[in-house]
Amino acid sequence: MKPFAGGQYRPLTDQGVRKIHDSALTLLSEIGVEVHSRLAFETFQKLKAVCDPSRKLVKISRSMVEDAIDKAPKKVVLCGREEKHDLYCEGKNVYLGTGGTVLNVIDLETGQKRPSLLKDVRDIAKLCDALENVHFMVLPVYPNDLPPQEVDINRFHSSILNCSKHLMGGIYTLKGTLDIIKMAEIIAGSPKALRERPFVSFITCVVSPLKIDDLYGDILYHIAKAGVPVAIPAEPLTGATAPVTIAGLLTGVHAETLSGVVLTQLVNPGTPVLYACTATSTDLKTMGYVSGSVEMGLINAGAAAMSQFVNLPNYTTAGMSDSKLVDTQNGYEKAMTNILVALSGSNFIHDAAGLVEFASTASYKQYVIDDEIIGMVMRAVRGIEVTDETIALDAYRRIGPGGNFLADPHTVQWMRKEHFIPKLSDRELRMNWEKSGRPGAEERAIAIAKRILRNHKPMGLPKELNDQLRSMFPEIKP
Amino acid sequence: MEVLQKISEELQKGNFKEVPKLVQEALYTGIAPSKILSDGLVAGMDVVGERFRMDEIFLPEVLISAKAMQAGMEVLRPRLVETGAKLAGKIVLGTVKGDIHDIGKNLVKMLLEGAGYQVIDAGIDVPIEKFVDAVKINRPNILGLSALLTTTMPMMKEVIESLIEAGVRNNVKVMVGGAPITEKFAKDIGADGYAPDAASAVVKVRELIG
Repeated sequence: MKPFAGGQYRPLTDQGVRKIHDSALTLLSEIGVEVHSRLAFETFQKLKAVCDPSRKLVKISRSMVEDAIDKAPKKVVLCGREEKHDLYCEGKNVYLGTGGTVLNVIDLETGQKRPSLLKDVRDIAKLCDALENVHFMVLPVYPNDLPPQEVDINRFHSSILNCSKHLMGGIYTLKGTLDIIKMAEIIAGSPKALRERPFVSFITCVVSPLKIDDLYGDILYHIAKAGVPVAIPAEPLTGATAPVTIAGLLTGVHAETLSGVVLTQLVNPGTPVLYACTATSTDLKTMGYVSGSVEMGLINAGAAAMSQFVNLPNYTTAGMSDSKLVDTQNGYEKAMTNILVALSGSNFIHDAAGLVEFASTASYKQYVIDDEIIGMVMRAVRGIEVTDETIALDAYRRIGPGGNFLADPHTVQWMRKEHFIPKLSDRELRMNWEKSGRPGAEERAIAIAKRILRNHKPMGLPKELNDQLRSMFPEIKP
Repeated sequence: MEVLQKISEELQKGNFKEVPKLVQEALYTGIAPSKILSDGLVAGMDVVGERFRMDEIFLPEVLISAKAMQAGMEVLRPRLVETGAKLAGKIVLGTVKGDIHDIGKNLVKMLLEGAGYQVIDAGIDVPIEKFVDAVKINRPNILGLSALLTTTMPMMKEVIESLIEAGVRNNVKVMVGGAPITEKFAKDIGADGYAPDAASAVVKVRELIG
């Protein structure tokens, strides 16, 4: 996929970026990070961070952070199983895709909310495989019908079968993580082949404020050891797990995700890692998590700017809504946060498709709607191309005063390239729209989703390979 | 009949330079003009129309093919006349008095020409008498009236009334179109047909004159 660079929107001044960076380094060196994972703690200890085992506290010096930033790759290519889906995460290249992991779906047939199942993992993967503006898939839903120890391998296996775009996912067990890496190595052909073209990657989180969890610290340690790409998001919430001010929160995000970056580079220098932010705001009237606030867009655009300052590829969040419906609020919240973060030049913007209701629920029709929003957002990211050909003096010469450009070859040559062609939006005359039963965007989206699920044939896996995987990992469901 | 296939293909691509040359070539090889029309030009345009209806191509692509069709027809029409083949029909088009909008009218013109009709363009801001004269002199099958302004719409009714007064109303079918026009308005003023957009105008013309 030809990358398009954002960066037109700059939420922070250069001076502001430097001030947040310096303050975050002060946080890490003065206050430190609580590290509950023994493997992670020992790694810091071995490499001479200032450690206090009684409080599980690690103080990370400025030079350790700078050293880790130096060692971490400036470019991470997250591959699809088909090359056309490769994502060049570097600089200000922009890609948007799905997010998760949520526990519920809005059923496509009944329109009702229900717990998500393994079949939803499959069907959403298929849908995302077909939606052309969804650039990657972060595994969106949790299969509530499986026992916890079977979740990791089945989520990835089912997604691989149905979607050939890059797959990134959260994981729940260390064994699951290692099994997924093994499975991906077999599919890639060898461990080396997977490192060369990583088509899966992982998400592990830092707990805000300033805490590396026991399990996720261990998992991060093992992923770094394996050298598979990983995003380490910090998810502080304004006024709750971070200061209520955006600059204060960004200082926390910067410190927290960098603490994870430091750990990965201590474990295995050169591990492909994404600076990551899933932070947003809190509704302090209710203490509720908010996903569609304009501040959410500012925060994640700010995080992209901070990662650009330290020259690390980034993972951020946008395109969610707090609305329970496909309604006006849903549309403006998604469009607003998506465009802010995309125009800031963020590399891997997740949660941008499919989620409703505070990122608690995935919705089939919403994927189709968000595909359209992302398409429009990417057109804005592309900006205005100015060349002799796009200025088209020759076409003006042909047409002259008072004519029209409708049947000019220049129009035919450029119309598809220059304009986003909507698949969902209604641009019909009222008469035609009434004739087709006055459908709204929601109805049209449902029809498109159903059509895709009926007709789309994903790339899948060769049968022998799939049989081999099933015999190696018997917990894989048919 | 390889050349007819080629005419159809180049027409679909909108190659308005190549199509007249190919028509000429087909005539040289002795293919009947009516066959060049039906199996070359019209066959190509049918594919274009179908792809447009299926949302595969956009209006400018239809127009550019229509332009190729027209270029081919210029070569072919005299020979069709000579051989006494039945021509598709004649249409006079114009934007009514007080209204200078012409892009919609021109669009209809291009598509009608693309469908093989002969179109006489009376232009914009056309006085009532000029329409009446055009009907008397050219004897078209259809008179098409265009208006984009709600303030010029009533002029359409006056044109129809003048055609009645001049005794030529029954010689011609009157079609109206333009953004503010509706089916109901068309009926109310006694027009014979209405189309909401340029593509359906062609369909309507076919319906009215076969």
